[in-house]
Amino acid sequence: MKILAIALKDIRHALRSTIGLVFMFGLPLMVTGMFYLMFGQAARSGSFELARIRVVVANEDLEAPRLQTGSGALPEGIKADTLSELVVAVLQSKDLADLLEVSLAPDATAARQVVDSQQAQVAVIIPSGFSKQFADINSQATVEFYQDPTLTIGPGIVRAILNRFMDSISGVKIAVDQVLDQTDADQVALVGQVIDAYLATSRTQTSNAADEFLEIHAPSGEVEETNPVLAIVAPIMGGMMVFYAFYTGVSTAESILEEDEQRTLPRLFTTPTSRQAILTGKFLAVFLTVSVQVVTLLVASHLIFGIDWGAPQAVAMLAGGIILVASSTGIFVNSLLKDTRQGGIIFGGVLTITGMLGMIRIFGSASSAAARMGDSVGLLVPQGWAVRGLVESLNRQPPAQVLPELLALLAWSCVFFTLGIWRFRKRYG
Amino acid sequence: MTQSAIQVNDLHKAFGDNNAVQGVSFEVQQGEIFSLLGPNGAGKTTTISMLATLLRPDQGDAFVMGHSIRKEATAVRAVLGVVPQEIALYEDLSARENLLFWGKMYGLRGGVLKTRVDEALEIIGLTERASGQLSKFSGGMKRRVNIAAALLHRPAVIFMDEPTVGIDPQSRRNILDSVVALKEQGMTVLYTTHYMEEAQELSDHIAIMDHGKLISLGTHAELVKIVGEADRIRLAIHNPRESLDQIWGMVPGVKQVSSKDGVFTILALNGHQVLPRLFEAAGDQAAQITSVEIQQPDLEAVFLHLTGRALRD
Repeated sequence: MKILAIALKDIRHALRSTIGLVFMFGLPLMVTGMFYLMFGQAARSGSFELARIRVVVANEDLEAPRLQTGSGALPEGIKADTLSELVVAVLQSKDLADLLEVSLAPDATAARQVVDSQQAQVAVIIPSGFSKQFADINSQATVEFYQDPTLTIGPGIVRAILNRFMDSISGVKIAVDQVLDQTDADQVALVGQVIDAYLATSRTQTSNAADEFLEIHAPSGEVEETNPVLAIVAPIMGGMMVFYAFYTGVSTAESILEEDEQRTLPRLFTTPTSRQAILTGKFLAVFLTVSVQVVTLLVASHLIFGIDWGAPQAVAMLAGGIILVASSTGIFVNSLLKDTRQGGIIFGGVLTITGMLGMIRIFGSASSAAARMGDSVGLLVPQGWAVRGLVESLNRQPPAQVLPELLALLAWSCVFFTLGIWRFRKRYG
Repeated sequence: MTQSAIQVNDLHKAFGDNNAVQGVSFEVQQGEIFSLLGPNGAGKTTTISMLATLLRPDQGDAFVMGHSIRKEATAVRAVLGVVPQEIALYEDLSARENLLFWGKMYGLRGGVLKTRVDEALEIIGLTERASGQLSKFSGGMKRRVNIAAALLHRPAVIFMDEPTVGIDPQSRRNILDSVVALKEQGMTVLYTTHYMEEAQELSDHIAIMDHGKLISLGTHAELVKIVGEADRIRLAIHNPRESLDQIWGMVPGVKQVSSKDGVFTILALNGHQVLPRLFEAAGDQAAQITSVEIQQPDLEAVFLHLTGRALRD
């Protein structure tokens, strides 16, 4: 009963602190909210579409020789009689429709004007004689690429698409040269079959061009399918929750030092309440305060942002692990402190650094290298295990899948709790 | 024979090289107010902390209502109410919430707790402000709550460690009156102070401490007898004459005259009656008196007599 009275008094103290409330609930939701607002429109529509790159094409290669291959060799839905028409047709293909918005200009000057007036981000100009030059072994065919100098990503994507396509065509050219060199005149018909075979292979390689050139990684494949914005926001919310749960654990446990300095702890020791009961009450307050925070954030983020944290059992396991490890860390860290003045250094330094390390996985997931690094480095701190577990839960992994993370969190908790209790008992026992 | 409320036997406590308490022994009878008087650093708070089981003595033992502070700490705490020197309360809680919490820590529950808290608020005159957050209270009001928190369980013995430090005269008066009221209710009060007037006004017995040692103990009258019953008159003379020693020594009521650097110290019975005759004799000798000070025998004089230093040094 006395233990509970001490715990409830501390919880009341924590919940009456405006700054405490801001750090417990306000900041995690606010930071997540900022990310949510950045992609809010897409979230409301339930889809996440990148703005299409506006491309203007001027084909001046009007006297080009006709292609000597069957239409079956061309990518599906593409019709072209000449190489330059093939280039235009590829840019206008269905596969790239989600990525490119292609318009045609009558000539190079008009195409450049469209870019200059910012009606398009890039102009692709196929010069006169392009196909002939391509067919000539001793000459080099070039496509003019005219772009808005202030832009990089959109034109870069278009350039990459064209390079990939032209590499394929160059492959055809090399194949033809090789066949002609090694084949008798009466077997020239075989050349057409070689070209068809090559283009067929090339088609399978480029059929998913949009996916190849714009690689979007989402931590959760399942969430990405339903709402890609949540694929970004949900892990951030998880990271924020973990970060601030540790802050709450440390700041709530700091009340032990505060009470010592304000002399209420020595006064408590003069009452017929055992020191073990007093310390247990203080520790219970830390666990309960962090519990209130984690549960509130899980529910609030679900209601506000629509985050589906995953299987209830897995979420419950992870929430328990996070509560335990954040509380234990708070007790351990404060057991190392001499007074609350040292707490500022801990809050500003240790918690921030370990918290950021733990969240590398979230913010580094745009590239696989960063993700791998985040996975490794983040696991050096308990926050990393908590974040990893949450991300897996967001990916709708079953409870068994998050068990390793839970066990790791429990191990961290046991170590921190044991050390913290030992030090506090030594100090006040 | 009635058991003493507090029995202290040869307590010692050192912090490193600092011997904070050295062989302190005394006895407090039930229902009396016992003061530990001494300057800051005399060892009063260390002594009271050991008696409250906050500090473990290096040597010696003490008994509170028959319970050893070494062996029966929990039993000691149960019969004890401690009013610490600092205001040890929760600023973000209201006065009522504070009292409810401390009552629970003393084992009170339910209706009894609520009744005791209401009574305590009534006694300290804060019923109207019971729901007010403590941080908005004046220092004096906080002091009153600080005391009330130690009285909820109606302890047999109360330790009050300098409870009037840093408060206004009105609150001080209120606290001194409440200490007397506690005694009237049959409680035993161990009171530490460095204000001689408080010890003099309140105490049945006074123990004077200095440098960790108990240097004298007794009732106020017994202590004053150490320096005798004569008033001490100090006269500063602008143009001292050697003959003044003899002349003033012959004035009726004067017991002793000594002088140093133009300052004469005269021990006399009923100093106020003697003083006009001293002025008259000085006038006859054309001696110019520049200052006069009469000191009646008090604890300050006792402390000065025993230590060679003023209590407030």
